[in-house]
Amino acid sequence: MEIIRSILEVTGFIVLIAAGVAALVGYLYTHFKYYDRGWFAWVALGVYPLLALAALGAAGLHPHSALRSLFFASVIIYAFFRYVVKGRHTVPYLLLAPAFVGLALLLVYPFVFEVYLSFHDLKLTTIMMWKNTGSIPFVWFEQYVKVFTTSPLSEVSFWALLGRTLLWTFSNVFFHVAGGFALALLLNNAIRFKGFYRTLLVIPWAMPQVVAVLAMRGEFHSQNGFVNIVLTKLAAAFPFLASLGVGPVQWLSDYPLLTCTIINVWLGIPFMMVVILGGLQSISSSYYDAADIDGASYFQKLRFITLPLIKPVLMPAVTLGTVWTFNNINVIYLVTGQAGGTEQADILVSALYKAAFTYNRYSYSAAFAIVVFALLFFISVTYLHGFDAAKEER
Amino acid sequence: MSQQDAIRRRKRIKYFLIHAVLLATAALFVYPLLRIFSVSLRPGDKLFSTDLSLIPAGATFIAYASLLRDTMFLRWLWNSLLITLATSFIGVSLASTAAYAFSRFRFPGKKAGLILLLSSQMIPAGMLILPLFLMIMKLKLMNTYLGMIIAYSVSSLPFSIWILKGYYDTIPRSLEEAALVDGTSQVGAFWRIILPLSTPALSIAFLFNFTTAWNEYLVARVVLFSAKQYTWTLGLFELQGQYITQWGMFAAGSMLVTIPVLCVFLYSSKWLISGLTLGSVKG
Repeated sequence: MEIIRSILEVTGFIVLIAAGVAALVGYLYTHFKYYDRGWFAWVALGVYPLLALAALGAAGLHPHSALRSLFFASVIIYAFFRYVVKGRHTVPYLLLAPAFVGLALLLVYPFVFEVYLSFHDLKLTTIMMWKNTGSIPFVWFEQYVKVFTTSPLSEVSFWALLGRTLLWTFSNVFFHVAGGFALALLLNNAIRFKGFYRTLLVIPWAMPQVVAVLAMRGEFHSQNGFVNIVLTKLAAAFPFLASLGVGPVQWLSDYPLLTCTIINVWLGIPFMMVVILGGLQSISSSYYDAADIDGASYFQKLRFITLPLIKPVLMPAVTLGTVWTFNNINVIYLVTGQAGGTEQADILVSALYKAAFTYNRYSYSAAFAIVVFALLFFISVTYLHGFDAAKEER
Repeated sequence: MSQQDAIRRRKRIKYFLIHAVLLATAALFVYPLLRIFSVSLRPGDKLFSTDLSLIPAGATFIAYASLLRDTMFLRWLWNSLLITLATSFIGVSLASTAAYAFSRFRFPGKKAGLILLLSSQMIPAGMLILPLFLMIMKLKLMNTYLGMIIAYSVSSLPFSIWILKGYYDTIPRSLEEAALVDGTSQVGAFWRIILPLSTPALSIAFLFNFTTAWNEYLVARVVLFSAKQYTWTLGLFELQGQYITQWGMFAAGSMLVTIPVLCVFLYSSKWLISGLTLGSVKG
């Protein structure tokens, strides 16, 4: 019974979305058709917002400021068609409209909302007020000042988090590329069972990340984890290792960042390996044959043929990998996020997630997010700039 | 003769070493998965043993049975499936038309739109969770499927548009032109010619949307709060809670989720990877 109800609920929602898309396309279509008629301005600016408001009301929503925003939207759309598009490009705009509106509502609007939040004060004590009246105190740059002066969690500071994030990003990307490159070079030989090895080696990437991280977290458990069992057995078998300090380690409480890094390296190598292997396989063997005739050594071939030729494949992958690693909340939250979890492994993004949802400091977290975004934006722009400059040189 | 022998021997040693290193790494990479499997087969009283053998003594499927009987695991899978199917359906439909516009038409704002799509990938994923959470709360959609679908539906949209555009670009224009000469509209040509021809790319986009939503954890954590509405990611996390770890059930659930995902991934990885690199190289 409940299954049927849930199916109906979801199907009904999809039908609603489809109706919304149809209404949107119809609305824009009339703009294309009648944009230059004198009477159309009155319809577009007067009737459409009211119709949309009626539809929202019928759907059971009570929009407080909807009329104003709908009116503004109509003005902008009307002016756009009247003075910019002038009835041309009908098909592409109609095709783009649904995706564009979806992105505007669920990607651009949240972003703007986040900026709005960062200048206000929304926290556990003011959220009821916001729910009921929709207004929250305006505090200028107070949240931004707090980002740099107070801790997002209980003690770690912004600067410590920043340093940790850079360390985390560089060490992870370094090991991903180094490991992936080494494995790809090995796999690129004419060996048997290549497909078999390849399949086994991508498994960490192919597993659902939640399962992979939680399973690895279990392996670092102080008593039942694989790592400590092996360390204990080693220490028991070779007493001189034990005297050097080899023995079970409290991974999750004493070295959480190291644990997260090991887990993430394990998770990330397969992607780099596959990308680099693809690049290696596209290099024509004639380069190597020519180098062999000239008597080049293995490392010379690696340095002067392989590296320059896989650079076009490697650079985008490294860029993507850097952004992914910088933004990786999943691994760190899954390892340290439970009750009683540590904050010694947190990087910027996981700290902002915890500040919002563990500590309920919404506005603070919004300001924090804006700062992190600005930082990432700055890094990427300088990086891409350097990348372009390097391209020009060639 | 002896020199040739030496070369052959050196070659043999080299291949032996390569195989040894690859085997060792492969074992290291797969071992965690094998260990989940072995834990899931352990009888209840040996869950916390320090035994490292692959098939434990007295292996049973009891953990699977109690997972299906005592927890809401099937319900969690069902919730995940509904949410994921709905989001992938919405995402792919929106992406397929938008990508067609980007692939076949020239219009003002095209370049800006493409740059916007690429740069939206730069926004930290965790950054938009908070405003989405507040919006869902304001719409009174907390703890519902609809809230989850809304939160997920556009997250893979830029990427899907990008892959589909790349694929449409490879379909020759002459096919549509022929159809236009025969009297179809532009939209008709898209519906009857381009969509059927791009089934492979559409299924990859669908798959990408599907896996992203299927494996998502962070949004689900804040939107869903009653165990009945959980997705499987939340359910498994709960089973592996800090103090009372349901180790056997966690392992059994992990196996049940991982095996189908693994099969689908290994089957589709070739296209998924070409899509990934295509999107980034062409930028």
